[in-house]
Amino acid sequence: MAEMVRKESGGAILNHWMLAISCILLIVTGFAFLFHLDGVGAVFGGYETMKTVHNWVGVVFGVSLVFTMFQYLGDSLKYDADDAQWFKVAGGYLSHKVKVPPMGKHNPGQKLYYLGIVIFGIAIALSGLGIWLMKDNATIMLLSHLVHNVSFVFFCIMVPVHIYLSTLANPGTLQIMTTGMVPLELAKKRYPKWMKAIGKM
Amino acid sequence: MANENSKNRKAILVTPELCIGCRACQVACKSWNQLPGIKTKNNGSYQNPPDLASAAYNIIRYNEVPSQDNPVRWLFVSRRCMHCDDAGCMKICPSGALYKTDEGAVAFDRDKCIGCKLCVTACPFDVPRYDADGKVTKCHLCFDRIGAGMSPACVKTCPTGALKYGDREELISTARKDGFATLYGEQDLGGLGSVYAFKEEPKLYGMVENPAIPSSVNFWHTYLKPLSVIGLGGVVAAAAIHYLAIGPHKDNEEEV
Repeated sequence: MAEMVRKESGGAILNHWMLAISCILLIVTGFAFLFHLDGVGAVFGGYETMKTVHNWVGVVFGVSLVFTMFQYLGDSLKYDADDAQWFKVAGGYLSHKVKVPPMGKHNPGQKLYYLGIVIFGIAIALSGLGIWLMKDNATIMLLSHLVHNVSFVFFCIMVPVHIYLSTLANPGTLQIMTTGMVPLELAKKRYPKWMKAIGKM
Repeated sequence: MANENSKNRKAILVTPELCIGCRACQVACKSWNQLPGIKTKNNGSYQNPPDLASAAYNIIRYNEVPSQDNPVRWLFVSRRCMHCDDAGCMKICPSGALYKTDEGAVAFDRDKCIGCKLCVTACPFDVPRYDADGKVTKCHLCFDRIGAGMSPACVKTCPTGALKYGDREELISTARKDGFATLYGEQDLGGLGSVYAFKEEPKLYGMVENPAIPSSVNFWHTYLKPLSVIGLGGVVAAAAIHYLAIGPHKDNEEEV
């Protein structure tokens, strides 16, 4: 059996799915509020219950977001020359002919995506609390409503990108978030700098 | 929507000059809508209750505006929902609890209200109020009466004609003929469903000058809302095209 390396811990995987499921639930109910999708509302037994679900799932999302910061925030702030080159070749996504520079544990696209999730995640969580709890302050309500919806647009655009890139676009990636393991041979190709750093290469 | 409704769009024409401040409109409104009394206190004015409330869909404002020949001049104005054509409350409501009737009344469905109070922040006139159960309430132009061909309770009871109900266009042209130059609400927010015929400047009567939906709400409605769907759909389409045109990552080709 091929040798495997662990890329994600059990805790990280659990937290990833907590964040992912809450996020998707929030996007679906968010769309239902935005466009009065009565059918979605009916699933929850009405808009009132859907609001309660949306609010508390938002709390789960926020807590989960805080957990991720211990996991990825440090790495997501470090960029090197290979990362710059990665952007020049668009990560190799626009052509299979280009030479993609060697990557560490995460490529800069993932790191920036993560930073975006953190920034807009904090924005959408705090503004959500504003709408939920500061109903009688018109300034906070209006500001929160705007921030909440700007962040929502970010999630609507970036989450499907993340889902596509981690499944169909990169076969074999999804298992990182299920079993947490990657075959060593594959890891050497995809994350050579990380493999060198941990002495596997 | 405005054009479809403009033919049978109804309105209330308020002529403060004719108002004697009897507040029969307040009483009739309470009676028809079965609203409880409000415990109130003297605020140094005859205006009572002091402002709109969950149990007061309309009030007469007693503006004390002394003039040279009348040191105790009162300007009575009926304050109520303006039934905007472009209604901020309706725009922002996330549950569809606020809606427009065929007559152009902005009504509410209490059962649909989720109590978020976003409508309060989007209303240019500070009209929506919340009741003890956390549900929205406000003047609904007696949509149940006007839908059956009757006039709103307040208009029905007004003894002086300070409140008139009818086709919006007709009310406006009649007021014009009667010599009212300033018709408040004729153009604002796509045209209000409560039009005011003033002899003097609207601000003397305590009216909001240049009422508008908060710009962030309009920005959200015009750009962010569509962008969320277009963005999501666009990304899904782009992913499908990428998959078909360029195809997934192949680890073996990387060494090229």
